[in-house]
Amino acid sequence: MTNLQSLEFFIPELILTITILAALITDLFVKKSKTNMIGWVLGVGLVVVGLSVHNLSSAPPTTLFLDMIVIDPFSSFMKIVIILSTLLVIVASWVNDELEKYRKGEYFTIMGIMVMGLFLMTSSVDIIMLYISIEVVSIMSFVLAAYLKLDTRSNEAGLKYVIYGAFSSGVMLFGLSIVYGLAGSTNYFAIQDTLSSLDGSANPALIMALLMIFAGFGYKISSVPFHFWTPDVYEGSPSTITAYLSVAPKAAGFAMIIRFFHQVFSDSIGLTSNSIGSTDLPWPEIIGVLAVVTMTMGNLVAIQQKSIKRMLAYSSIAHAGYMMLALPVLSMEAVESIMIYLFIYVFMNLGAFFIVIFVKNKTGGESFEDFEGLGWKMPIVGAFMTLFMLSLTGLPPTAGFVGKLYIFKTLVGAGSEFLWLVIAGGVNSVISLYYYFHVVKVMFLGGKRSDVITYPPSTMFGLMIFTAVPSLILGLYWNPLASWVKDSLVFYNQVM
Amino acid sequence: MIESPMITFPLLILFLPLISFVILIFFGKKLPRQGDWVAVGSIVTTFILAVYLFVQMLTSYDANFSHGASLSWIDMGAFKIDLGILVDNLTIVMLLIVTLVSSCTHIFSLEYMKGDVRYNRYYAYLGLFTFSMNGIVLADNLISMYMSWELVGVSSYLLIGHWFEKDSAANASKKAFLTNRVGDIGFFIGIMLLYSAVGAFTFAPIFDSISGGEAIAGMTLTLAGLGIFMGAVGKSSQFPLHIWLPDAMEGPTPVSALMHAATMVAAGVYMCVRLFPIFTADALTVIAYIGAITAILAALTAITQNDIKKVLAYSTVSQLGFMVLAVGTGVYTAAFFHLLTHAMFKANLFYCSGSVIHSMHHALHEAHDHDTDPQDMRNMGGFREKMPITYYSMLISTLAIAGVPLFSGFLSKDAILAGTLAFAQQNPVHFLLPLLGFSAAAITAFYMFRLIFMTFHGKPNMKNIFKDIHESPKEMTGPIVLLGALSFFIFYTLPSNFNPIKDKGWFKDLIVPRNSAVPGSLTANEIAEYAHYAHYLAMGLSLFVAAAGILLAVLMYQRQSISSEKLSNKFGFLYHWSYNKFYFDENYNRYLYQPFLRLANSISWLDWEFYDKYFINGFGKLTKSFSKISGKFDYDGIDQGLVDGFGRVSSVSGNFLRNIQTGRLQNYLLFVVAGILVIIIAQAF
Repeated sequence: MTNLQSLEFFIPELILTITILAALITDLFVKKSKTNMIGWVLGVGLVVVGLSVHNLSSAPPTTLFLDMIVIDPFSSFMKIVIILSTLLVIVASWVNDELEKYRKGEYFTIMGIMVMGLFLMTSSVDIIMLYISIEVVSIMSFVLAAYLKLDTRSNEAGLKYVIYGAFSSGVMLFGLSIVYGLAGSTNYFAIQDTLSSLDGSANPALIMALLMIFAGFGYKISSVPFHFWTPDVYEGSPSTITAYLSVAPKAAGFAMIIRFFHQVFSDSIGLTSNSIGSTDLPWPEIIGVLAVVTMTMGNLVAIQQKSIKRMLAYSSIAHAGYMMLALPVLSMEAVESIMIYLFIYVFMNLGAFFIVIFVKNKTGGESFEDFEGLGWKMPIVGAFMTLFMLSLTGLPPTAGFVGKLYIFKTLVGAGSEFLWLVIAGGVNSVISLYYYFHVVKVMFLGGKRSDVITYPPSTMFGLMIFTAVPSLILGLYWNPLASWVKDSLVFYNQVM
Repeated sequence: MIESPMITFPLLILFLPLISFVILIFFGKKLPRQGDWVAVGSIVTTFILAVYLFVQMLTSYDANFSHGASLSWIDMGAFKIDLGILVDNLTIVMLLIVTLVSSCTHIFSLEYMKGDVRYNRYYAYLGLFTFSMNGIVLADNLISMYMSWELVGVSSYLLIGHWFEKDSAANASKKAFLTNRVGDIGFFIGIMLLYSAVGAFTFAPIFDSISGGEAIAGMTLTLAGLGIFMGAVGKSSQFPLHIWLPDAMEGPTPVSALMHAATMVAAGVYMCVRLFPIFTADALTVIAYIGAITAILAALTAITQNDIKKVLAYSTVSQLGFMVLAVGTGVYTAAFFHLLTHAMFKANLFYCSGSVIHSMHHALHEAHDHDTDPQDMRNMGGFREKMPITYYSMLISTLAIAGVPLFSGFLSKDAILAGTLAFAQQNPVHFLLPLLGFSAAAITAFYMFRLIFMTFHGKPNMKNIFKDIHESPKEMTGPIVLLGALSFFIFYTLPSNFNPIKDKGWFKDLIVPRNSAVPGSLTANEIAEYAHYAHYLAMGLSLFVAAAGILLAVLMYQRQSISSEKLSNKFGFLYHWSYNKFYFDENYNRYLYQPFLRLANSISWLDWEFYDKYFINGFGKLTKSFSKISGKFDYDGIDQGLVDGFGRVSSVSGNFLRNIQTGRLQNYLLFVVAGILVIIIAQAF
């Protein structure tokens, strides 16, 4: 589709652009204490964007801007997940005391730009576009991570993130250039076409390129061994940004992986043999091992943490591992289970982070000691936190259970060669129970009981409700989500 | 899908009490009057809706009326669960009973529970109970029935233990819950047996597969049916799990009336009626014997009890036995009819006993007497003149339960006994069933009149409190009058028939029996025909036994021409067995609980001493050291060893933090590259 024709299907992004500009301009006219207003501007804009994404989600899949990006139900689903998490984080940013010292105008504007990048990540089908979108998201993340200018830890996080991110995308770019060299095109489908007709002589180069590209993707979803930035950046960033980084870029990262490997290297039907594309790369083994190592590492190190925020950082690595469990199968069913898991993960993980933010507002700290006796001092918050911990562990009747159920169901259905992944996933869930329930134990059994009960302020309470209700309801009645995901399981595909 | 009031109204009836529960449990304390008006308002609304449905059903009567709606709950490829509701004539009548008795209980409790410490919770739990009971009634599949079933168990647990400060109440609630669990395990096994054979949870496909005869038949089907019936044994308090119901009387009396007399315990019978098509002939025979044994055992126990509520509790168990007996002999519409009439007169008997206890409480309180048991009938007597409304209403309901003509119980009990007699005429081997049935009917008449005479007639046994005994306020007498009136036959035979002894009438024709789905069973028509032949003989016999029972009670307790003490001395052994409830609790304790506890103790010893000490702790230690090593790798290896090492070297002059940054990052990046290289090398193998 030509550029002009494409505009019609690019409305969400256009509205987003207008919103970002509006946010920038509004920022010029408001006092520092009123900069929450920019959040309103962005929030309202995002709601409109969400509605137009929804409108377009039933349009037939097609490519835009001369095969640069696609619009299909899958990308619409991911965009809605991104919008939901952004909206929740915007609201949380209003009440995050860490940010009180700073103007928040740029903060919200940058977040808007990041959403733009995330949108492009979910929908690009060209390796140039892919790279640009990753960079947009990364650079915005660097700025947001270092947003607490007066806090050295935040500066440290930002700087580390910049260098690490630059390095990873360099590695990825190296891989992408090899692929371009082999295929002679930057378009996914052209690449697919050429690669499938190659004889085996190019395999070593192709395998190296694929692994380098996976390094770039792995950095986005923080898979071992590309995860080293995660704990440091998560700990140093403002908590709202930590929460945001742990969900939205991860969702987009998975979207990217699915589109790249599922579309380009597996003929979009799923893996027919045990290797990917025409190469003899043992995809299930490599990704399977990475997934298992990722979740085991995340869980084991999480046990050792003293700070709940850092514990959640490692736990988010573990959750990336759970989602990666489905990647070795790479069938439609696997994609479905990852989408369901992502959607559920957004709510339970954001909820847990919001409670950390709330406790930090109250007590000034985010370690386990600050949570002592929380269940008695603030019973509502304690109950919500227990729910999130249950859900993150994956116990019924919470949503986390359903997410894991679908992942495991995919693996069991895919055949006995994936059984070891199920076992590893099960063992890891048990390990994670230890540190998630450590929080619950500290909240209800630790510290002194107090008779003074504090209730969360209404905005915070609203956020908790908005994250807790899906975390519970989706564990009891998830059919609407499952059927929505099933309907969204349509990719643009040139060979159609 | 939801378009007609036949779907929306039942849904409202189902969910209004749940909404009331949620409001009351979270905000009850903050609402004026602790929110009792929310509960009463919602329940009365559901009653009005139920009446509307009932009127609709009568005016446009269709014997095969059936309506449903369902919602896909879980859909994971091959494994599907649909949750839905099924509305037919049976459902509508049952909804009417539940909402009527529940409304009465709500109103009655306004006065009875006034000033209670957990007033809002009491009403909240009543809402939860009504929701779950309606859930059982409306379920169109085994899963939602099972879920509601468990919820009913929970709300019963909460309400029996409402005064949990009393040890006896706390223990009774535990006993009720655990005993019910035993039955529920069977229920669950039955559901799973059916599902594994049929592959569906919804009733209609299950019935279809059974009548197909291929998916499940013979022994498996009998076992599945008996498993499901075990749920009813627990909930409807049948032998041998009947021990919990008398203890459940520790709960507030209105709760006893609602749950442990009229509705919850009838859930088991309702379930058997609903699922009647799945029971094989063998299963039905077992069911019939369980029912008959329950009926006679409980009736024999009731004779010697002195606690007014205990007598009523055992009488409930006995009447439930009658209903189960009717299911077993195939006349399951008679069972449902008795469920209906029993719900009305037994709820009323409980309200009346509540009224008496309430007034005893008051009087004892005035006399500063806190040791006397206000429920012991030996402390009563002569209340007739003080509490006339309660007396006459209770007398009417007693006549009904005793099976005296012109009252509702006569019609339904007669139908059951006729069915039993017909069953024995067809299968003379089972002659014991009608024998036990008629004996239990005679004993029922006896002990119920014993209760009336001891409470209301004769001379007051405690003269010091007698002056303070008086009639209860309107909130309590209202339901008593209403339900007392509903014990007359006329409501069940109108409008087609005014003949007081014929059980034909609109009610009997309202619920048309269905054929069993099990191939080779008797059809509903055959069963009805046989019962019809036996009808007059059964009626004569039941009239005779009722008269005999009442006469004996008059002689012993009114005229006192037969001394009850001498009689009990003469039959000392029988008397003690009855008085001590056939030693069920003692024997269960000795032969079941104690050995089980000993077993549990030895297992737990093994657990602690071996499994925990060596295996679990060892595993824990292993995990801990493993995660320590992993953490060490991250911290000591990278942070301390490399970073700090590097840092220490560089920080001779300087800035620690900056050194960490540079040091760390180099290592991080090193690991990325190393990681890629390792993977590239590893994949080659």
